[in-house]
Amino acid sequence: MLKYLMKRSGIYLIMIFLTTSAGYFLAVSSLKPAVLEQEKIPRPTPEQVAASFRGLGLDPDKNAWERYLDWLWGIVTRWDWGRSPNGAFVNAEFADRVLVSTRLFIASIILTLIIGVALGVYSAARQYKVQDRVITSYSYLVHILPAPIAYFLVQLGAIGINEAVGQRIFFVTGISTPGIEPGWPAFVDLVAHYAVPTFAMTIFGWAGYQIAQRQYLLDNVNADFVRTARAKGLTRNQAIRKHALRVSFIPVAQSIAFTIPAIFTGGFFAEAIFAWPGIGLWSIQAISLQDVNVATATLAYGSVIFAIGAILADFATTLVDPRVRVQ
Amino acid sequence: MSTNTSQTPAERLRDAGLYAPGDAVLSVRDLNVRFNSENGVVHAVRGVDFDLMPGKTLGIVGESGSGKSVTSMAIMGLLPETADITGSVRFKGKELLGLSDKAMCKHRGSDIAMVFQDPLSSLTPVYTVGHQIIEALTVHNPTMSKQAKEARAIELLRMVGIPSPKDRLKAFPHEFSGGMRQRVMIAIAIANDPRVLIADEPTTALDVTIQAQVLEVLHTAQEETGAAVVMITHDLGVVAGMADDIMVMYAGKPVETGTVEDIYYNPRMPYTLGLLGAVPRVDTATRQSLVPIEGTPPNLALPVTGCSFAARCPMVSDACLHGEPELFPVPGVESQTLGHKAACIKANELTGDADAHKIFHAPPKPVSKFDGVARAERAKVLELKDVKKHFPLLKGALIKRRIGTVKAVDGLSFDIREGECVSIVGESGCGKTTTLLEIMEFHPDQVGEVIIGGVSNKVATDHKTKMAMRKEMQMVFQDPTGALDPRFTVYEVLAEPLENLGMPKAAIKKRIMELMKLVGLQPDHVNRFPNQFSGGQRQRIGIARALAVNPKLVVLDEPVSALDVSVQAGVINLLDKLRAELGLSYLMVAHDLSVVRHISDRVAVMYLGKIVETGDVDDVFDNPRHPYTRALLSAIPVPDPTLERTRERIILQGDLPSPLDAPKGCNFATRCPVFAALPAAKQEKCLNLEPPLASEKEGTQDFACFFPDGEIDADMLVVHA
Repeated sequence: MLKYLMKRSGIYLIMIFLTTSAGYFLAVSSLKPAVLEQEKIPRPTPEQVAASFRGLGLDPDKNAWERYLDWLWGIVTRWDWGRSPNGAFVNAEFADRVLVSTRLFIASIILTLIIGVALGVYSAARQYKVQDRVITSYSYLVHILPAPIAYFLVQLGAIGINEAVGQRIFFVTGISTPGIEPGWPAFVDLVAHYAVPTFAMTIFGWAGYQIAQRQYLLDNVNADFVRTARAKGLTRNQAIRKHALRVSFIPVAQSIAFTIPAIFTGGFFAEAIFAWPGIGLWSIQAISLQDVNVATATLAYGSVIFAIGAILADFATTLVDPRVRVQ
Repeated sequence: MSTNTSQTPAERLRDAGLYAPGDAVLSVRDLNVRFNSENGVVHAVRGVDFDLMPGKTLGIVGESGSGKSVTSMAIMGLLPETADITGSVRFKGKELLGLSDKAMCKHRGSDIAMVFQDPLSSLTPVYTVGHQIIEALTVHNPTMSKQAKEARAIELLRMVGIPSPKDRLKAFPHEFSGGMRQRVMIAIAIANDPRVLIADEPTTALDVTIQAQVLEVLHTAQEETGAAVVMITHDLGVVAGMADDIMVMYAGKPVETGTVEDIYYNPRMPYTLGLLGAVPRVDTATRQSLVPIEGTPPNLALPVTGCSFAARCPMVSDACLHGEPELFPVPGVESQTLGHKAACIKANELTGDADAHKIFHAPPKPVSKFDGVARAERAKVLELKDVKKHFPLLKGALIKRRIGTVKAVDGLSFDIREGECVSIVGESGCGKTTTLLEIMEFHPDQVGEVIIGGVSNKVATDHKTKMAMRKEMQMVFQDPTGALDPRFTVYEVLAEPLENLGMPKAAIKKRIMELMKLVGLQPDHVNRFPNQFSGGQRQRIGIARALAVNPKLVVLDEPVSALDVSVQAGVINLLDKLRAELGLSYLMVAHDLSVVRHISDRVAVMYLGKIVETGDVDDVFDNPRHPYTRALLSAIPVPDPTLERTRERIILQGDLPSPLDAPKGCNFATRCPVFAALPAAKQEKCLNLEPPLASEKEGTQDFACFFPDGEIDADMLVVHA
């Protein structure tokens, strides 16, 4: 197993290197920070701009290949992912951003998964009954609701509660209140900030899992091997629970591992709406600010998370499906 | 359970007017099953009655849609809740119909067990075989100790003939071949010593040699447990040797019941008669057409007013259309368990010497203009010279390394002359299909030479020559539904090859009308889509498409294996007729040796990529020399109960070996029944030298064996007296 994981990790490392390099070339040839500098007042001369960029390692006069080599050399020798046009170090901001994103998403990812799969099983077992119709209709409704609108609705709800109680219980934006005392008050403050985004992302997030799990389980409910189990003397529900459920979880397990990276790197709307400046927001900003190094760094981060997701998917599949067990 | 829920079983039985013998282990009375569908209520089973005596075997025979599987599922209580089931099913006098799922679970798997058709999908892929057998034990014996259960599981696996059962307990289903999985299914079914074992087409998905093994295991299982068996099948051969009684079902209703002898030797219902005549025989050289049963079974969503078979019956009269005939005892026959009964008002007209061919107007055997010409004088339409197809077996993710070679086709040479049908037979994995693909490939880089109509693949490098070759040779596929584009009308299907040839529109239209008539379809149906035709008609469309460009050679890949027996007969007759009328040659691949014997002139038996025996079909079938051919032929069940019970059968051990374990000498040595009986000194020769494909001095057939007609190892010979 360890050997297998090592081998897969090696393959993914090569892939990450290739995508990141390709990303760098794309960024360096299309993003021109000098254009933005021209809008400053007083307008700097092109020579001044070039000189300041040269100091930041963003020399516009070098060709893409030379800049790529410089950039790569910095990473390999000093683990230095370069600087932004405004002089900020990518390394310094990166860790903060990743932490913010991870904190924002981790609870809702776990809740979404558990609730989604559980509801999928529940609704499949009650196919076409009222419970199933309510749950599944809800999931489809959520699917067509754009995330920003959904999140705004939750924020409005939270504000409504605050007003009804006459006191600020929930914070609808932000990570924490500045200057809060550590200890118990800080924890209450954290929960108050955390509740609204987590709630919003969870109740609008489980739909995919619910629909998938319901569908895969229903595909297996009438499978031949479930019939065999019933012929042995298991009741229909026992046969479904013991035989269909595990088989139906195989494709879901794979999809779970692949949706996690999408959330971590693509949670742009949530970060923007709840004002948690995480990695998703950063990557969008990098493009509008013509920031080559940040754009590439976020891309690299996305690739790494994706590779971890893929390895997790393999791992989860081997856990539940003996047919792909590795030697 | 609509109207009868308030009645006791006894009342229900009285209503049905039938009382069961007291010692019957399973009694079914007036069983009716209805399903709601979009087209209304489908009455799938319409009044099934039978009694199953302990230790006896009942064969339920019928074509797809005849309600035989639904009957078995109704007995097991495995139909969906939406099915409406009425009547009575009693196990040792206890009513089973109407029991809750939970109450029924006490009987399922312990009193009544079942073996299903498709062993590949019937086992849960994520649990070990041992787990699945032990589960069956746990459900009914909660107090049994873990060790006892494991010991029993090992015993069961040994009983069904799985080698090293202790280790195999931990194996997953995907590590077993189809035949092995079916053995596991049987082990699960007999785990709790059931009194009734229902086997629903248990061998349909398996190769003949494996079918023989599994039937043997079923036989052993019945002997060991003393269970009564209900054997459901469409294959009249499979039940001939096994069953004591037969029930023939048609359109959801039993149309004839009786002992095997009654049914096979003295059928009194035209449908049974036709069915028996529609099956080609592997053991006799037939110079007669098969009995075709025209038409299709009735739509069971519509009420039945007359005899359900009337629309297809050649003996139909006005009386048949008014009122459905009940099962009446056939006069003059001693009745046994079921009694010989037939649901036909003309049962008395059909006496023992009734000739199905005459009654069903079977066409005369067509004569081709080539039949009178000696084989050597006819031109070769296809010739293969030492054709090989080897696939490398690779291992490793990034850097692949070769760990072996799969010799799918390993040095094949044969030819096909004008007007003859050559068949390739063998188990799955023997290289039949790869051979066809190699012929269709027709590429200069192939290993070996393929010559079609005098043009060799070594010289046909340009597109034009290849196109000309395609015109010479066309193909008919196994699955007629999959081979036709569902969004093409029949006209478009047939016009496509003609347009490719650049034929003008008017000529295409004329040709299509010709083709439709040629294959026995109504020309005004050309604008219909494939899904508006039955399976047999679709295969006729497939044949018409192949014939559109007037080929000399038609390659038939299992042309009738997807069709029901009665429909199959019509398609085989059509193929026979076309060959004679158009002077076609066929290259056929088939696993059904009875069909092969009926239609072919020559046959080549393949084993692991090589031809092991070839020759005129009657020579090979009547006097097989190679032990593999002998085993293959002996494994095929014949629809003749007396013969089946006295026939010696060679049961090959194991499955087709992995190509990695192929021996240096004769490929077949690992499974060979002659080899097993040889003294060690002679075995050496088989293991080290490869026998060449050659004929004996006076022989007409070639075979690759050092010890033809050798003595068969006694362990592999089985006779059921």
